[in-house]
Amino acid sequence: MPRSRDEDDEIDGDYEGLDLEEEEEEDEEEEERGRGGGGSRRKRGRSNFIDDYADEDSQEEDDDDEDYGSRGGKGAASKRKKPSASIFLDREAHQVDDEEEEDEEEGEDDFIVDAGTDLPDERGDRRYERRFLSRDENDEDVEDLERRIQERFSRHHEEYDEEATDVEQQALLPSVRDPKLWMVKCAIGREREVAVCLMQKFIDRGADLQIRSVVALDHLKNYIYVEADKEAHVKEAIKGMRNIYSNQKILLVPIREMTDVLSVESKAIDLSRDTWVRMKIGTYKGDLAKVVDVDNVRQRVTVKLIPRIDLQALASKLDGREVSKKKAFVPPPRFMNIDEARELHIRVERRRDHMTGDYFENIGGMLFKDGFLYKTVSLKSITVQNVTPTFDELEKFNKPSENGEGDFGGLSTLFANRKKGHFMKGDAVIVIKGDLKNLKGWVEKVDEENVLIRSEMKGLPDPLAVNERELCKYFEPGNHVKVVSGTHEGATGMVVKVDQHVRVFADHVVESSEVTTGVTKIGDYELHDLVLLDNLSFGVIIRLENEAFQVLKGVPDRPEVALVKLREIKCKIEKKINVQDRYKNVIAVKDDVRVIEGPSKGKQGPVKHIYKGVLFIYDRHHLEHAGFICAKCTSCIVVGGSRSGANRNGGDSFSRYGNFKAPAPVPSSPGRFQRGRGGGYNNSGGRHVGGRGRGDDSLLGTTVKIRLGPFKGYRGPVVEVKGNSVRVELEMKIVTGKLLNSLFRMWVSTCRRNFNNSLYMQLIGMQYQIMLRQHPLDTSRYSMGSETPMHPSRTPLHPYMTPMRDSGATPIHDGMRTPMRDRAWNPYTPMSPPRDNWEDGNPGSWGTSPQYQPGSPPSRAYEAPTPGSGWASTPGGSYSDAGTPRDHGSAYANAPSPYLPSTPGQPMTPSSASYLPGTPGGQPMTPGTGLDVMSPVIGGDAEAWFMPDILVDVHKAGEDSDVGVIRDVSDGTCKVSLGSSGEGDTIMALPSELEIIPPRKSDRVKIVGGQYRGSTGKLIGIDGSDGIVKIDDNLDVKILDLALLAKFVQP
Amino acid sequence: MGEAPAQIPTSFGHELRACLRCRLVKTYDQFRDSGCENCPFFKMEDEHERIVDVTTPNFNGIISMMDPRKSWAARWLRIGKFAPGCYTLAVSEALPEEMQSICQQVRVQYVPPKRI
Repeated sequence: MPRSRDEDDEIDGDYEGLDLEEEEEEDEEEEERGRGGGGSRRKRGRSNFIDDYADEDSQEEDDDDEDYGSRGGKGAASKRKKPSASIFLDREAHQVDDEEEEDEEEGEDDFIVDAGTDLPDERGDRRYERRFLSRDENDEDVEDLERRIQERFSRHHEEYDEEATDVEQQALLPSVRDPKLWMVKCAIGREREVAVCLMQKFIDRGADLQIRSVVALDHLKNYIYVEADKEAHVKEAIKGMRNIYSNQKILLVPIREMTDVLSVESKAIDLSRDTWVRMKIGTYKGDLAKVVDVDNVRQRVTVKLIPRIDLQALASKLDGREVSKKKAFVPPPRFMNIDEARELHIRVERRRDHMTGDYFENIGGMLFKDGFLYKTVSLKSITVQNVTPTFDELEKFNKPSENGEGDFGGLSTLFANRKKGHFMKGDAVIVIKGDLKNLKGWVEKVDEENVLIRSEMKGLPDPLAVNERELCKYFEPGNHVKVVSGTHEGATGMVVKVDQHVRVFADHVVESSEVTTGVTKIGDYELHDLVLLDNLSFGVIIRLENEAFQVLKGVPDRPEVALVKLREIKCKIEKKINVQDRYKNVIAVKDDVRVIEGPSKGKQGPVKHIYKGVLFIYDRHHLEHAGFICAKCTSCIVVGGSRSGANRNGGDSFSRYGNFKAPAPVPSSPGRFQRGRGGGYNNSGGRHVGGRGRGDDSLLGTTVKIRLGPFKGYRGPVVEVKGNSVRVELEMKIVTGKLLNSLFRMWVSTCRRNFNNSLYMQLIGMQYQIMLRQHPLDTSRYSMGSETPMHPSRTPLHPYMTPMRDSGATPIHDGMRTPMRDRAWNPYTPMSPPRDNWEDGNPGSWGTSPQYQPGSPPSRAYEAPTPGSGWASTPGGSYSDAGTPRDHGSAYANAPSPYLPSTPGQPMTPSSASYLPGTPGGQPMTPGTGLDVMSPVIGGDAEAWFMPDILVDVHKAGEDSDVGVIRDVSDGTCKVSLGSSGEGDTIMALPSELEIIPPRKSDRVKIVGGQYRGSTGKLIGIDGSDGIVKIDDNLDVKILDLALLAKFVQP
Repeated sequence: MGEAPAQIPTSFGHELRACLRCRLVKTYDQFRDSGCENCPFFKMEDEHERIVDVTTPNFNGIISMMDPRKSWAARWLRIGKFAPGCYTLAVSEALPEEMQSICQQVRVQYVPPKRI
């Protein structure tokens, strides 16, 4: 836009005037108008003046909108910052006022009348007419005015554009309507060329090329980004480009990563004299060098370094003798000794540099001074960033000038290189430069480059601002410190002596109160995390070393520490598991326990992790392994726990209630009787527990689910515990198998013993010998039941864990685009029911407990491609529409999830449907599912229990079924009065012979399970599988599962 | 808006420099011969010694802006009002104060690069 500068000025000035916020400009404008409009104008009140302008402004804005309408609504809107909504409203309001005002004015203001021109209707133009007319610029035609207006407003926008604040930048985030970025593979090293060529192509071909821009990043080789609305446009544009592999796939950059592509660090190369740099190439590769001179124009830099010159070879070369070409070795760095060179008859010229006046020794074109080689190299061949000379290097550099003070300046330039913000409040510091040198103090506040320090010295302003470059951390012998960078990074120790050298390194040292290691996190793993290792062993991270972890393995017998690399760790284990101690007290994380047997006997402390029955106890008096002790749960006791209580209670409650659980809806099922027997075993087992203190026996009779192996997902009661084996009766099909070394883990629900406090227990290292019995039950129903625990809430690979982004390296994003959550978590594929029910599920549960499921090797999940559900494929739906990028919920809720089971309780067989009218509540009646407290839908306490005063169906073997009312429940049998109101004979019946009769609307009901168990109420309505119950006690209306309701018969 | 594009760099190597104000990328020679299309007020074509002051060879990444009006990238980088052409994503230096005052004189906003 070549315009004369004056015009530019004027236009800008005009525009600023429009901007109601710039007072000064406004004044100027006013003056101008005063000049132009004559005295009468001047008299106008200021407010009027502004109104007038505002009004016109709105007109202009409209024009402007037309001009930029093509940009799309949002773009245009976001451009405009200052005219906020309120201003806009003002304008609207004043538009009317102004109209009147103008009319009045026209009457009294002769100037405008005098002007006498036919004013165009358009208000926007009118203003200019006024102005220009007053300046006798009538000859300016309307078109020209329009052009000016346009120019003015294109400038106007430009200025807004560049007022960069963070808030505004947020407003510029890409939306779905914006063009997308596509990643295109190109020849390595040709990224810029491709970008420029595409630009040229665009100029040549014009609008044919519908791409918007092409990005070539310096740090991303092999790829360019093309901004376009459609992939087809990209393809069209790159067609025929020499350096683009058009057969390669074009990848869409997810909308949330678009800004990362363009966010490159504008690394400030702060190259000045005395900066420490390293050579990148050549003989001196990696060597430390010090900048002597910088030629910014030619991009050259002169550095001094310690020469690596083989004088012998040099002498031979200069003599013209043949030198063996092969460079067998790189000569060690050594200061040039001119005398030595002379002895070898090397010609040394002494020259004075005409620029600096310094003398240099010139040997064969190389310049030496004080033994250093002065070399002028390209800026590109040195590394400037993060150069931290080691002490040895510095010592070498300092050697020649042995005059005490040495190269202290050099040391201070080292400070200049260090990373910023390393002073923290409370640090002890010492001033190393300037008038206040050697003043000690403490950091009060760090403010950019200035550090406010509080000094010991009286009479100094307090706090004192010191440039951080003039400060150095100060340590005293005896301080406990941690090395925060360098080869000893992470090590902690005590300062034993402080001299100059330590002071150099003191920079990298922070005072530490931590006794362990420095870094506490590598990758996702932190110190003291419980992690699953490659070989399915596990342990606690007790120390972090460079790139590796020391892990105390979960082996109870002896402490076993392994050094583990980051990639050898499968995942973090974050389960909340409760186990039982030797006396059946429940141990949860954070409980204090004491080890009563084994090598760590006597140790005591809080439990930090529980996994596979192994406790990791933190004893701060334990000096090894970062205070961690590994012990079997059975060799520990809870401090303050009872020695036998839990067992008795548990057993009691079990024997009392165990048999009164409503049986499965198939009353004649032998499986049910089996379970009864299981209960018997349990009782005897309980006795053993008391006697021998063996925790495993407590499993007897409890229903377990097999977590791994070919029988994964199956459940059944434990009928025998033998050593490391458990005999489980599976309620499924005839398979007899012995599963050795199985990796089964069992979730043992002890909720029948502790029915309000559902517990899980995990057994480790057991071999489960499985006896599978045929079960006459419909397998499909059981398979369904067994799937209930696979609730989404346990999906471990929740998107929370994905955003490990590397802004510079978008090609790596492939991995993270896969939300990683299908195959690995789909152990039920063969019997997986239709999955279409998932969307009815509870998406909220995704976020609630993203736990790991340690049983499955999670690595598989990372390979798992997820068709149709990543960010990549749903950029619009999940990100932009949600508004906030954090909102994963919706994206995942809608994603078809291949492994999720159908809603539990969806009856698959008619037989079950008759008993369980399509309710999830039906499930609790099946012993298998009911116990699965993992399912958030059906808690362990949400089971139906037989209780007095409810109407039941009695099926006695060989007899017709009859209705009756339970009168009493005791010792495994129910006293039932026959007849619908209990008027008939009283018989004794086993729970398995009874079945709760579901109530009908407006029946009196008794709640037989769940939170309100025992309450009575009235069923005031039925909604699908839910009953709406008005509870008698408090007249609350509750919506409860129909299956938990029984018809209540008043005694 | 079919605006006339800026000159396209004639090479891709070290000769490239970026205007410190608008981030337009061209070769030194191009700046010398025809100045910067977006910042004519620097008058680089007349005062050649200014070129080293107002342009820099230290920049990071190139973006060929075909359609600055419609491009999101242009909006994000705030080069949406400049002529189509090759720009850089970021420059590392700020304009010398002298040159900044020129910007002020001609009332052109100058935003120094953010240092990280």
